[in-house]
Amino acid sequence: MKNNTIILGIGNVGRQDDGLGWLFLDFLEDEDFEGIDIEYRYQLQIEDAELICNYQTVIFIDATKEITKKGYYYKHCEPSDQFGFSTHELAPETILFLANQLYNHDPKAFILGIQGHEWNLEVGLSKTAKENLDKAKEYFGTNIFSRHVLSS
Amino acid sequence: MSQKLVIDPVTRVEGHGKVTIQLDEENKVTDAKFHIVEFRGFERFIQGHPYWEAPVMVQRLCGICPVSHHLAAAKAIDQIVGIEPEDLSVPAQKIRKLLHFGQVFQSHALHFFYLASPDLLFGAESDPLKRNVVGVAMEYPELAKKGILMRKFGQEIIKLVAGKRIHGISTTPGGVHKRVSAKERTYFLDGKDIPSIDTMIKWSIEIIDFMKSYHITNKEFLDSFAKYPSGHLGLVNKKNGFLELYDGVLRATDGNGNITLNDIPNDDYDQYFYESVKKWTYLKFPYLRHLGKEKGWNRVGPLARMNICEGIETPLAERERLDFKAITNGGINNMTMYTHWARLIEVLYCAEMMKNLLEDDDILSNDLIRKGERRKEGIGIIEAPRGTLIHHYEVDDKDRITRCNLIVSTTHNNEPMNQAVRWVANNVLDGKPKITEGMLNQVEVAIRAYDPCLSCATHALGQMPLEISLYDPAGNIIDSKRN
Repeated sequence: MKNNTIILGIGNVGRQDDGLGWLFLDFLEDEDFEGIDIEYRYQLQIEDAELICNYQTVIFIDATKEITKKGYYYKHCEPSDQFGFSTHELAPETILFLANQLYNHDPKAFILGIQGHEWNLEVGLSKTAKENLDKAKEYFGTNIFSRHVLSS
Repeated sequence: MSQKLVIDPVTRVEGHGKVTIQLDEENKVTDAKFHIVEFRGFERFIQGHPYWEAPVMVQRLCGICPVSHHLAAAKAIDQIVGIEPEDLSVPAQKIRKLLHFGQVFQSHALHFFYLASPDLLFGAESDPLKRNVVGVAMEYPELAKKGILMRKFGQEIIKLVAGKRIHGISTTPGGVHKRVSAKERTYFLDGKDIPSIDTMIKWSIEIIDFMKSYHITNKEFLDSFAKYPSGHLGLVNKKNGFLELYDGVLRATDGNGNITLNDIPNDDYDQYFYESVKKWTYLKFPYLRHLGKEKGWNRVGPLARMNICEGIETPLAERERLDFKAITNGGINNMTMYTHWARLIEVLYCAEMMKNLLEDDDILSNDLIRKGERRKEGIGIIEAPRGTLIHHYEVDDKDRITRCNLIVSTTHNNEPMNQAVRWVANNVLDGKPKITEGMLNQVEVAIRAYDPCLSCATHALGQMPLEISLYDPAGNIIDSKRN
């Protein structure tokens, strides 16, 4: 933990487009962006609330089934105590809520959702998801990195 | 009019299951079942793969206890390359054990703090919107923070040995890939970056003290809820009968403490176990063949392990075991809710063992791999967090796996969990004019004590929740609960 920004990629590369979050982290590693720590997650868990307390900025990256105009969305993430009572899987909003509740920490937080289309038990993105991943990479390089990483 | 209750999905368990409870016209329970509705068939699709892939592939059964599958498969594959557990180099044995204790420690912490504690802290019939890990974090923040850091410690141990916290790779046929460095182990000992192993031991004792106090104030409920006689199965140390999680002999007792399986070597397991199948669930029902289906089923996991072992090699956990055994005057404990207490004693045991291993210079050694004479069959049995885990492989001359048999902890607990569901149905729901959410949650509380991993048990993928439904005599669902 040497940087001010952490990026958590959520997903599973064994489920086609569900791997978008991890593949985006692979891109960040390959390009060697400065000032960023990255973590791969199948799902977020309560200990991630403790982890993000070491950072000023948090970016969650996940595949989304939402219909997006550009193939991805990028938005602020606000704390929320909404919680599915059956599981230990937590939403980014709940992680932020717990970070605030348990550690009195309130980082700047954003979600980059990249639209996926195929979710079967296969390795490899669908053609459209690949295009969306490329668009999201470009947006990160031209916009997110300078606004929310270098400035934090 | 009779009706059927369906709990679908059962919540705060690993995997997807369903409970159905059939009531007659007077709301008397006529039938109760715990169904596992996932199916994957891992045993089939691993066939044809080279044997050295097994420890890597089978750990994908689970995101909670992949280390257990990795190690059980590794022990089996060791045999295929001619290495018995005691033939591994001492450093390799100790590094594998360190990995295993880290896994059990984090898994038990996950279960207690995230899954079980909401029922214990708020009550089984409390508001379900509060009865969850977020509710615990809000009302008991110090407890929640300890839970987070204890789980993190175990996960960091896994990352140390296996490279990452989930689905890392540590073993190779006949040994392990890498040693531990002096700098790496200091991270766990000095308390500078994360709370030290000594802090883990201290917190483990505090949580046990909490559980003991909880038992004093809730004794009537805990002593009676889902209490029923059963067999108890697990590994024990082959030399002294002590608690053993990595390598031992198979021992079982009946519900009165009579030995029913007397320290059987791992390689002989298939002479003693059968598995039966039922139409309404994908989960099989293992039993001891010489006792038959009706009497041969066993609980596995923390409560069973406390029942069958004769001691614990670490002093603090042994002291706690003696307190635990004193409740039943040294006899067998068939009280399901005591599983939580037993689990916490194992948390302390794992913490003490991790300290011993971290302070042992053998883990710094480069003597990591042994080679032996190639065989066609390998069997690996370990105690996973949830109980006895059996991996069995056969290979051909081209190194391809031709047969795989997995008997997973939750599979052993299939009949015990069905007994638990029937107990709650008969003692909580039976004859009640109105069935409340809190009553249905008690069905889940009984199942949850076993910390079932339903994905492992059926080797399944997919959605994780569990459900309860209520049926009328005609088979129509009239009420249900799911997340």
